[in-house]
Amino acid sequence: MLKEDRFKLRVWFASGEPWVWLNAGAVGISITAVVGLLLLIAVRGFGHFWPASVALIGYTDRSGVEQVVLGEVTDSEILAASQYLEATGQSADALPAGQIEVERWQIKTGNRRVAPPDFRWIPTHYIDSVRYPEDAVVLERMEWGNAYGFLTATYEGDVLSSDGPAAWDDFLSRLQRAVLLREQIKALENDKLNHINYALEQLRLDRKGLHRRESLDPVARNARMAEIDTSEQALQAEFQAGEQELRALQGALHRDSIRLRTASGMELTVNVGDVVRAWRPNAMPVLQKIGHYLHSVGLFLTDTPREANTEGGIYPAIFGTIMMVLLMSILVTPFGVIAALYLREYAKQGPFVRLIRIAVNNLAGVPSIVYGVFGLGFFVYFLGGNLDALFFPDALPAPTFGTPGLLWASLTLALLTVPVVVVSTEEGLTRIPRAIREGSLALGATKAETLFKVVIPMASPAILTGVILAVARAAGEVAPLMLVGVVKLAPSLPLDGNFPFVHLERKFMHLGFHIYDVGFQSPNVDAARPLVYATALLLVLLIVALNLTAIMLRNRLERRYRGVE
Amino acid sequence: MTSDTIADRPNAQPLKPDATQEQPVSLPDSLLVDGWSLYYGEQQALNSISLAIPQKQATAFIGPSGCGKSTLLRCFNRMNDLIDNVSVSGRITLEGQDIYAKDVDVAQLRRRVGMVFQRPNPFPKTIYENVAYGLRLAGRIPKTELDDRVEWALKSAALWEEVRDRLKESALGLSGGQQQRLVIARAVAVQPAVLLLDEPASALDPISTLKIEELIHQLKSEYTIVIVTHNMQQAARVSDYTAFLYLGELVEFDRTDDVFTNPKKPQTEDYITGRYG
Amino acid sequence: MNPHISEQYDAELDETRNLLMEMGGQVEKLLRDAIDALVTQDSALAEEVRRGDKKVNRLEVEIDEHCVNIIARRQPAASDLRTLISVMKASTDLERIGDEAGRIAKMAKVLADMEYPSDQYNDFRTLANMTHDLLTRSLDAFARLDADGALAVIAADETIDDTYDQILRNRSSAMRQDPGTVERAMSVIWAARSLERIGDHAKNLGEHVVYLVRGQDVRHSPKQSSVS
Repeated sequence: MLKEDRFKLRVWFASGEPWVWLNAGAVGISITAVVGLLLLIAVRGFGHFWPASVALIGYTDRSGVEQVVLGEVTDSEILAASQYLEATGQSADALPAGQIEVERWQIKTGNRRVAPPDFRWIPTHYIDSVRYPEDAVVLERMEWGNAYGFLTATYEGDVLSSDGPAAWDDFLSRLQRAVLLREQIKALENDKLNHINYALEQLRLDRKGLHRRESLDPVARNARMAEIDTSEQALQAEFQAGEQELRALQGALHRDSIRLRTASGMELTVNVGDVVRAWRPNAMPVLQKIGHYLHSVGLFLTDTPREANTEGGIYPAIFGTIMMVLLMSILVTPFGVIAALYLREYAKQGPFVRLIRIAVNNLAGVPSIVYGVFGLGFFVYFLGGNLDALFFPDALPAPTFGTPGLLWASLTLALLTVPVVVVSTEEGLTRIPRAIREGSLALGATKAETLFKVVIPMASPAILTGVILAVARAAGEVAPLMLVGVVKLAPSLPLDGNFPFVHLERKFMHLGFHIYDVGFQSPNVDAARPLVYATALLLVLLIVALNLTAIMLRNRLERRYRGVE
Repeated sequence: MTSDTIADRPNAQPLKPDATQEQPVSLPDSLLVDGWSLYYGEQQALNSISLAIPQKQATAFIGPSGCGKSTLLRCFNRMNDLIDNVSVSGRITLEGQDIYAKDVDVAQLRRRVGMVFQRPNPFPKTIYENVAYGLRLAGRIPKTELDDRVEWALKSAALWEEVRDRLKESALGLSGGQQQRLVIARAVAVQPAVLLLDEPASALDPISTLKIEELIHQLKSEYTIVIVTHNMQQAARVSDYTAFLYLGELVEFDRTDDVFTNPKKPQTEDYITGRYG
Repeated sequence: MNPHISEQYDAELDETRNLLMEMGGQVEKLLRDAIDALVTQDSALAEEVRRGDKKVNRLEVEIDEHCVNIIARRQPAASDLRTLISVMKASTDLERIGDEAGRIAKMAKVLADMEYPSDQYNDFRTLANMTHDLLTRSLDAFARLDADGALAVIAADETIDDTYDQILRNRSSAMRQDPGTVERAMSVIWAARSLERIGDHAKNLGEHVVYLVRGQDVRHSPKQSSVS
């Protein structure tokens, strides 16, 4: 009986079924981990933009004082009683005897300026009542985060315009006007004033350059100087006119204000010009909530960050990331392909080439921060410094290229990812059958003609695979970028309407660094946490999108060359 | 590349097809091989081979694997140049011109000596582009002329009727036999003097093989054809002259009719009758 | 000669050659018997020869089939091809020899009813021995692939022709002197004529051997012995 059982077990092992189970288990665990991660990021990231209901919570705090707060319940957790007591520094008698667990809610109460903190934990056994008043108002402000309260009155200037129930609609129409004004201001700043500033800066550099060139004939110099002076004066006048216009618009923007009564009964005056959006979540039907939600997501994607990156959008970071990855791809592809072509096609295969190949492969394993240091030392200080001395001497001592910037970041990442492209391209080149090369050579093609007309087109799927891998690696890289060009907040995009339109020397923002900055460098961790998830999700989606595009391209090429190998 | 003089070697006369007294060969020679030796590093692959390949005739090289027949064939368009560590001695002339002379443009030579390989190797391009490939290498050609040349080449390779409506489709969609004829059309398009065929039908089915053989019959009125084949019956069917190589030496070179009915050398006899040699 | 890589191929070729040798043996015996039947005037033996001819015919068909199958399946070349072609042609010649032996046997039956002649068929015996010897030698040359022996056979055929002419002349003059011998003489002449034809076929066999061994076609050439 026992013998038979052992025999059966042996047959089962010999059949290979245990291995199948083992393999399937490993795959299952991997998939679960990846899907779980993505789900977590997606739920937390997407959930942030939902207009949650605002609760009016009455509770009695530990010293027996009755309190009222108004805010969103953002989180809840259950603590062991001892843990809770330790965290709050209370003695055991603070809890009813026999209670072993404490549930507590995190409430986002906003009003950071008048009633900090804006996030607070309330144990549920303190809570006396929870209500969701229809007329609770949430204001998203330019500064100081959200405000929660009840609208009491709307003012135009100092004059009461409306109060009571009518105040809400009045406020909304005034808010609309403010939004329009804000757009005008933004347009004025971005287009006109920015342009004038840029032109003034150029004139300043011209003048400086003129001083520097001593060989110039004094008459011509003076003539040129006079020219610069006149255009500068014209520009200054234009700038002042623009500034005046700007001041007028800002005055108009800040004309109106509202009164808000907080949960604790405090009266709060909010200037309408500081309000981004206002909504009453408890009174919103689901459809309207969805509309609000989509609008929030849209703002997140297209707006610039505010409040030390904890509020507003991440548009500059998206833009910077894409720009850098594209630039990196443009730099790394020819570089890697040419290197691989030499190694595989032209170099005499021997120990030396093998050594180089090993070195290239190992480069892929060097910690990325090392590349960052190298980029800073070589690209930024050495190359950039020399470039400045040669081509931008007028701006010195202010550096142009001699400071971290988009070009250097892209170059550093190109260097970081070039082994991937080299290895992948080499693999593609070796896979091309000898017969095809010989066919071309036998027709009287030279080696170079064979390479360019037959071999490289056929290796293009492999080259693209390399670029895909490089993009995936580069888009997720953060550490070296902090040294060679990424900043917390870039004053302007690397692409704008001022000649030469692409500004490779500018610093830029990056999603990966943004996650780090918002998540760990932010003064307000609770407010920033949802943004970390949302940004991480976006970064993942961006990499997936970049990869899918490249994969689709590669598959199309592969279809074309299928059946050759 | 060293080249010693003819007088240094025994067996210096190029071996002409031995057609006894009755039928002297009066055909002009296309390729003349004279005391040709080839080494891969230290190892000798061809040993002082001399033979004269007649113009506009099909000459077959037969012999067991590793006998050097493909190596010799690849000397005619200098494909062996691609391999490291190859050294040669002797002389090969194409219509009187030394093809291993220093001033020879190898690309130019390969345009005069076309080659077709064992496995069909069309480029992953359209049928049209495959045939036009060699023509485009020679320089810019007006579109109409290119069209004409492509059509002519495909007709020469007996493929035109099968592909005339799908010239813009990928060549990889063709069958193996069609691909091989396309490759022949590609080689013929540049109008070479010599066409080298390296086991052109060994990867094909019998019907496609017969089509290729029929094509060789037609092509030899225009081109000097040298074919390497494992298949002795194929050599017997398509060639006018047959050379038997064994262990890097030319054992016998004669008219195909004689080689297959009454070979002079016992090694040839053993090989073509399938005996232990 | 080295064996083929395919042993089966060797076996098939050997089988064909063996069949031919068997046929040769049969034919040789037929000829011997036919000659004996004639010179001993043994009518029963003559009848046996007539029956033996059938067996030879069957062997010829069998050899042809063998050769055709090998050609179709093996595509023989060089010496193998020449062997098969020679065997096929030789079997045809042997079959003809068999036929001629039958004719001699027929004459033997005619002569058996007559009185035994005083010359004891001397002239016929001489020719018969020469012919039989030639056939034996040609078959030997075939079996041993002996081209020189075969060339000797070809040369020897001329002697047979001369001897036949001799018989023809002698018998003709005898008939003129003694018309009573005409019937017998005619039968002997017919038999001698068959012997002369057998000699020609034996010569053909020799030519096949030369082609087999040397790949040379020595038929219809003016001086066969010069080609070697």
